[in-house]
Amino acid sequence: MKKKSGLFQLFAYTFLSLFAIMNIVPLFWMVVNSFKKEQEYAANPFSLPTDFQFSNYVEAWKVANMDVYFFNSILVTLVSLIVTVLLGALAAYFLSRFQFKLRGLTYSLFLLGMLVPIHATLIPIFLIMQKLHLIDTYFSLILPYTAFHLSLTVFILEGFMRGFPKDLEESGVVDGAGIYRIFWSIILPITRPALATVIILNFIYNWNEYLFALVLITSSELKTLPLGLANFVGIETASLTLQMAALTIALIPIIIFYLLLQKQLVAGMTAGAVKG
Amino acid sequence: MQTLKGTKLAIFFGLFPALLIYLGIAIVPIGLSLYYSVMNWNGIGSMTFVGIDNYVQILSNSTFWLSVKNNVIIMVTGLIGQLPLGLLLAILLNRGLKGSGFFRTIGFMPVVISSVMVSLIWGMIYNTEYGMLNNLLGFIGLEGWQQNWLGDVKWSMLSISIAYIWQNCGLYMVIFLAALQNIPDEVNEAAELDGATGFKRTMRITIPMIRSTIMVCVVYSISNSFRVFDLIQILTGGGPAHQTEVMTIYMYNSAFMNMRYGYGSAVSILILLFSLVVITLINRLAGEKDA
Repeated sequence: MKKKSGLFQLFAYTFLSLFAIMNIVPLFWMVVNSFKKEQEYAANPFSLPTDFQFSNYVEAWKVANMDVYFFNSILVTLVSLIVTVLLGALAAYFLSRFQFKLRGLTYSLFLLGMLVPIHATLIPIFLIMQKLHLIDTYFSLILPYTAFHLSLTVFILEGFMRGFPKDLEESGVVDGAGIYRIFWSIILPITRPALATVIILNFIYNWNEYLFALVLITSSELKTLPLGLANFVGIETASLTLQMAALTIALIPIIIFYLLLQKQLVAGMTAGAVKG
Repeated sequence: MQTLKGTKLAIFFGLFPALLIYLGIAIVPIGLSLYYSVMNWNGIGSMTFVGIDNYVQILSNSTFWLSVKNNVIIMVTGLIGQLPLGLLLAILLNRGLKGSGFFRTIGFMPVVISSVMVSLIWGMIYNTEYGMLNNLLGFIGLEGWQQNWLGDVKWSMLSISIAYIWQNCGLYMVIFLAALQNIPDEVNEAAELDGATGFKRTMRITIPMIRSTIMVCVVYSISNSFRVFDLIQILTGGGPAHQTEVMTIYMYNSAFMNMRYGYGSAVSILILLFSLVVITLINRLAGEKDA
């Protein structure tokens, strides 16, 4: 394994570098130009900015209502995430640690959700939300986000909890702890690694969601970041550098999030596939 | 655990909230879609039963078949663009080269960025007047190659496909990489002793070893190709003249632009059916090879 031909290394590095460049250049180009005056960009889109226009950022933040969108995204993302993980962990606990008649059916039902494209449910969900007068409220997003991510959450947590030794709960039973007490004080703490993965995945999925928001949210005070950005770029066609500044503002937190937590994020996104 | 008192009730209360939300919002709507699909309804007036009328209309609509064709293009893009590229990258990254971690980090980055952001960025790249691509072509003296990348029928699907590869390739790369790292060292060492090295080992040993992961990715890639919406909705909106429309956009337009909820629901049922049929077919074909 140790000896590698120089030719192979040359090929590998060239190929990997080209790939990395393809991934970086679009983002780099956008960030660099977000600091330019519109005229400077028009004159030469490939030069580095001569003096940095931080005013683009100030203006983009204001004109694009970034504060509102960030607030909405954080709120909807976190509430859905907390509800999904709590309910999902509880369901996973009962599915993994107890034998009961409908266990198999319930588990299969939860897994089914990973196969269903949300598009097949979009119209009924819109109509249900309309009937419940929930259109254009945070709830209209929190409910679908929770429902659709329960599948993966239950799948990952159930698999993890099932791996615990059978006699884990015994000490709790001896001490007279109830089922929920055992869940909260014994099971949840040792599920922490899987919980971390699930929380990160849910965060990313909720944070990036677009289609439900597009259909269920109309008022601009309730728009989430992806929806707000898409709208802003659609309207603010005059200034490309302003658009780039707005996109960079939205890009930076997610890149930082990714760089800090990439291990769990990659693990979560590949978990289902590799297990097969 | 069965000895605990009140177990049944506890199980019920533990599962009930999750099941209620899940069934109510994710499962029941599929049934409702099926129900609406045989109705004619504009959302305001009364609903009338029309049987398979919606389906007949959809299947005889040329725009719908255009969207099916585009879905096939996206599917093929995934299968021959993203998967082999992802596999090749994973194989290279698995060779323990210096800097592998860096390339993996960069490679996976587009997967994490929202598809809205990816679309907006690529929209700026493809912009006819101010975009990076045309600017670059002008910059290096290839003005003749400049195109209206998204607005020209000849180029629009290709442009979308490239953005689609860019967005998802990294996902398959890390999935394959995880599978490769699961191959026990002994297997590689044994192969080495038998004289299988480099390319030969990759083709004869490595790829067969991760066959099940490759199959999962094929299925995953196909089902994802039927779900593509954000990318195209934002890049072109399905235009010019429906030329980049996919089934999800056709459904969205039918239901939410033209207020034909029954018709749109029938499209969504067809999306579900199409993807199930293709996936079953692929599984069948792969299964036969095994035998």
